[in-house]
Amino acid sequence: MIATVLKLIARRLLLAIPILLIVSALLFCVLRLLPVDPAAMSLPPNATIEEIETKRREMGLDKPLPQQYLIWLSDALHGSFGRSIALRRDAGSLVASTLPATIQLALCAMVIAAILGIGGGLLLFRVRGTWVEPVADLASVLLLSIPEFLWGLILLFVFGVALELLPFTGEVAPGLPIPHFTGFLLLDSLIAGRLDVFVSACQHLILPALALGLAFSPGIMRVLRSSLFDVYHEDYIAQARLRGLSENEILLGHAFKNAALPTLTLVGVQFGILFSGTLLVEVIYSYAGMGNLMVDAVRNADLPLIQAIGLTYCIVVLLINTAVDSLYVVLNPKLRVH
Amino acid sequence: MDALRRSLRSPRVLIALGMILCVTGCAMFAGFLAPHDPGDQNLLSILTPPAWVDGGDVSYPLGTDSLGRCVLSRLIYGARTAMLVAVFASLGAMIIGTVLAHVAGYFGGVVDWIIGRLVDVWMSFPPVILSLILMVGLGVGLGKVILAIVLVDWTRFCRVLRAEVLVVTRNDYVAAARLLGFTHWQTIVREVLPATLPLLITLVSLEMAIAVVVEAILSFVGLGVSADQPAWGQMIADARQYVYQSPWNLLLPILAIFFTVTAFNLLGDGLRRSLDARLSETGR
Repeated sequence: MIATVLKLIARRLLLAIPILLIVSALLFCVLRLLPVDPAAMSLPPNATIEEIETKRREMGLDKPLPQQYLIWLSDALHGSFGRSIALRRDAGSLVASTLPATIQLALCAMVIAAILGIGGGLLLFRVRGTWVEPVADLASVLLLSIPEFLWGLILLFVFGVALELLPFTGEVAPGLPIPHFTGFLLLDSLIAGRLDVFVSACQHLILPALALGLAFSPGIMRVLRSSLFDVYHEDYIAQARLRGLSENEILLGHAFKNAALPTLTLVGVQFGILFSGTLLVEVIYSYAGMGNLMVDAVRNADLPLIQAIGLTYCIVVLLINTAVDSLYVVLNPKLRVH
Repeated sequence: MDALRRSLRSPRVLIALGMILCVTGCAMFAGFLAPHDPGDQNLLSILTPPAWVDGGDVSYPLGTDSLGRCVLSRLIYGARTAMLVAVFASLGAMIIGTVLAHVAGYFGGVVDWIIGRLVDVWMSFPPVILSLILMVGLGVGLGKVILAIVLVDWTRFCRVLRAEVLVVTRNDYVAAARLLGFTHWQTIVREVLPATLPLLITLVSLEMAIAVVVEAILSFVGLGVSADQPAWGQMIADARQYVYQSPWNLLLPILAIFFTVTAFNLLGDGLRRSLDARLSETGR
């Protein structure tokens, strides 16, 4: 089985290389269409035209586009993504310093989405045929119509502004130190032994993670329910019923296990989308992750930074999809033999 | 077509159509419905609450924003922006996606492979990120927002419809059409397209919901329509800074987006239920 999984991962990663190349080339071209001169932007406003020209040559902007791309690519392969124009720091290290915060948010949100989605899906299925069904069904459509950014604002308003229960800006309460070990704040605060920082970080994480989780749970609910419907046509369900098992035992012990696989595929796809959904939630909650960095970069037309962040999002999404595919093989016995 | 007529009897579809008519009415007759010009500033009465709350002003039924502009008028004109984007962006995405899906599914082979890989590359970009990057490249404006959504979302149509076209193309009546001497073009338009139409209509409805959300997101970040054009996302971004003084300004555009998106999702859901044969068998 391990060999199969390794082979699958290797194949997926090989396939990812051409995709990443094309994606980075596309990114490069789109960003070069901008009517912005990166050379002029990286110099003080009183620079002379000669100085700008020198800088342009230095940055390789006078060369044809394909050659510029190759220069960027070889730099990127050596780990250098250029310098952010607005922040005057290395784009790669900026991304590396904000990525953990975003991953932490996305993982917490995914756990919430999975719990709500699986619970809701089982509930939706359990009430089938009763008067509750059309109501629950309608509720799931309504839930589906609230994207993460509306949830973010609604939760911010209800719990942050109206009830004043939870904080809604930043990552920890102002004044508390932010320990740096791995970049994952929840982990770092525990390593540093600062329980107060940990609690504060958790409080700050609840609303953004809940907003994302709520937005992505209805999709999981609906797929789980429809795959439960498919599973219930199988003979082993009828057989289990004949053995006298209760409805709950059949649902949780027999049907859920088999219906969980198609759901897992969707959770994987959802996780990719959820990961990019962190962007808006981060903006709404002023959470210092990659999304906020991206929006700032976009507002400043900070090309090297946009390029580095855009590519990072693509890589993370590709990695997530590969991970979910491998998990699928591990969990699905039918795919182990070949 | 029979299924489409049947779907018009579904309460979901009817309610959804009613809601959509409501928003469309606001969008089309914004000039008559809005009590004020959406850009008119009245700096003497800023951040007033809605008329029924203490301190409200009857001439501003839903209050004013931080620049003293009428919130109701801005909501109504915002519906125009949202609907324009919803209609044109989803039509554009539909046309590109449908053409490529039919070409890929009908001809198969190398063409199918190329289009399939194109979709793969496109989908490896998270949609939010891709639309932001496109907006950086294109610049702000209503047309640019529509173009960005078309360029991001055509893959949704292409991926789903291609699978459907593959199934339809295997039918005997398609082969019969070819034997009767139909050209490829005629076969696709007269035999394949009508069979995929129900799915297509459902997808368009769902895409409109997505387009409304994306437009709001882009305007919220400040990369949507130009600043002088009222948009719900802009209203939210503006109201967020004054959320303590005037919570209504934040809640009203959220409600407007929710109402519109729900309408399109409900329509899509209702259509899917009455058009999807497999679903109607199991009584879903």
